[in-house]
Amino acid sequence: MFADVVPPSAADAPPGTSRDWRGPLTRAVLPLLSLIVFLLAWQGAAASGIWNETFVPYPSTVWRAFINVSTVHDGVRGYGGYLLWEHLYMTLRRVFAGVVIGVGLGVALGLVMGSIPWVRSVLEPWLTFLRALPPLAYFFLLVIWLGIDEAPKVTLLALAALPPAAVATTAAVVAAPVGLIEAARALGASRWDVVKDIVVPAALPETFTGIRLAVGMAYSSVVAAELFNGIPGVGGLVKDASNYNNTPVVLVGIFAIGISGLIIDGLLRGVERRAVPWRGKV
Amino acid sequence: MKLKKIAALAATLAVALTGCAIDRSKPDASKPTIRIAYQTFPSGDLIVKNNKWLEEALPDYNIKWTKFDSGADVNTAFIAKQVDFGALGSSPVARGLSAPLNIPYQVAFILDVAGDNEALVARNGTGIGSVADLRGKRVATPFASTAHYSLLAALAQNGLSANDVQLVDLQPQAILAAWERGDIAAAYSWLPTLDQLEKSGKVLITSRELADKGKPTLDLAAVASSFAEDNPKVVDVWRQQQARALTEIKNDPDAAAKAIAAEIALSPDDVAQQLKKTVFLTPDQVASPEWLGTDGKPGNLAANLESASQFLADQKQIPAPAPLSVFQGALYTSGLPDALTR
Repeated sequence: MFADVVPPSAADAPPGTSRDWRGPLTRAVLPLLSLIVFLLAWQGAAASGIWNETFVPYPSTVWRAFINVSTVHDGVRGYGGYLLWEHLYMTLRRVFAGVVIGVGLGVALGLVMGSIPWVRSVLEPWLTFLRALPPLAYFFLLVIWLGIDEAPKVTLLALAALPPAAVATTAAVVAAPVGLIEAARALGASRWDVVKDIVVPAALPETFTGIRLAVGMAYSSVVAAELFNGIPGVGGLVKDASNYNNTPVVLVGIFAIGISGLIIDGLLRGVERRAVPWRGKV
Repeated sequence: MKLKKIAALAATLAVALTGCAIDRSKPDASKPTIRIAYQTFPSGDLIVKNNKWLEEALPDYNIKWTKFDSGADVNTAFIAKQVDFGALGSSPVARGLSAPLNIPYQVAFILDVAGDNEALVARNGTGIGSVADLRGKRVATPFASTAHYSLLAALAQNGLSANDVQLVDLQPQAILAAWERGDIAAAYSWLPTLDQLEKSGKVLITSRELADKGKPTLDLAAVASSFAEDNPKVVDVWRQQQARALTEIKNDPDAAAKAIAAEIALSPDDVAQQLKKTVFLTPDQVASPEWLGTDGKPGNLAANLESASQFLADQKQIPAPAPLSVFQGALYTSGLPDALTR
């Protein structure tokens, strides 16, 4: 999961202190350094010969697989007839559709469940039930009901994204400051006004954390969603390559999933900073 | 205080649960263990396992049977040196013996040859009457399986390539679901799914016909080279039990079906039907030039594996096919044909 919940406010520490060069330096250099150390350790592990090359291929082998998967070579287009970016594009499209549906429903559910106690009592067991299910357990049913094209994949990703968004939103709404709500009511605000002006702004920061978790859940279900007829798709690529013990391509797929996940999470954090500037400051 | 209590409780639970792992095979620490990877396709392997023939014939060893779902997983287990014997299809064996895997194992037995138990079926109402009619249609098969190899071989024999049809990667249960929904026009699959497909479809070609045309797919049993070198006697006993199972399938199919049915969740009648449709060689045939061959004279199986290796290279799953000599060297023919009948 790539949703850590460090408040971004640490980044905007007041300038002018003698240590302010350290922040940017640490942020730029340390990740790079850890990457270099990782690559060196990897090269060392591969070169040591303790493990078979199927288990620990050389970084250069994986790089070559990456080039092969990303280009047309010897008249062969990438992997399984599609280039890496095409696999990634299809996967991202599915994740996007799934997340939009899952998070949309989840946040709406959370708002209702947080505001109306009896709805919460009715729906919570179902949500917890759904949350406990590994997607692989019910994916076969989705195939029977929805076929083998996009519908079961998007549905699975939506089902994976819905519970975290719903649970986080519910908790956030419930935790909305009672004092403010009562004050607003005393000043004559309608129920709708209270939700719009107090509950939603108070709940937004935590809801955003829920959304980031939801995207993470959906993203980590990608291989399961593309288990059947998953090519083009990065998850399908990983599954197919592992069927042939093709470790370098599996690693290329894993890196593609992981790195695109990091980028998406970074984008979400950016959106979060703009949408909820009061986060961590109230 | 509370946190400490919870932590203590969690630790106790963790320790207690690791102690209670359910494992009914109780290895005897004083004996060496033979580790066998098996799969659940009907074969003599399951008869040997169910009747405990190996345990009887090798009382000085622990026998540990581990179930695997695919040849790729068995290959991984061989690479990790976690198994001594393993059952896997000809396609994963070809993959394992080619670079870059180069798994040090040898083919020591032929469990079965795919016959009418694997076939290409077209759905009724699609108007498909022959393999050539599949052009542009959606055809499903489990990728990386023997059926995948057979499907592409059947297409090639009819002048079609993989790009002329829409290939869909589906496991047998999903093939059935997609078939019922009308999402696919044809599928190359195996029993018991195949039975269901045949009810509402037309068989275009079976693996038996492909085998007759020189493109057989087989289920093989491999032994780790180092294990075979160190324990030739064990391999001999193991081969004899496998031969005994083949003889039982021929002579007493009901008993064979019962033993296999006990290992996989199917009725003995269903298994008996499947056994009839699969080609089981006799021990003599296994050691004939057409298949494994004899000591010093590796059989034609090597050429089949070379062709499977070429298939993988065409699929871009391996950089280049391995030469015939690699596969000839990987046939364990020591003591054949006498070793089987003794």
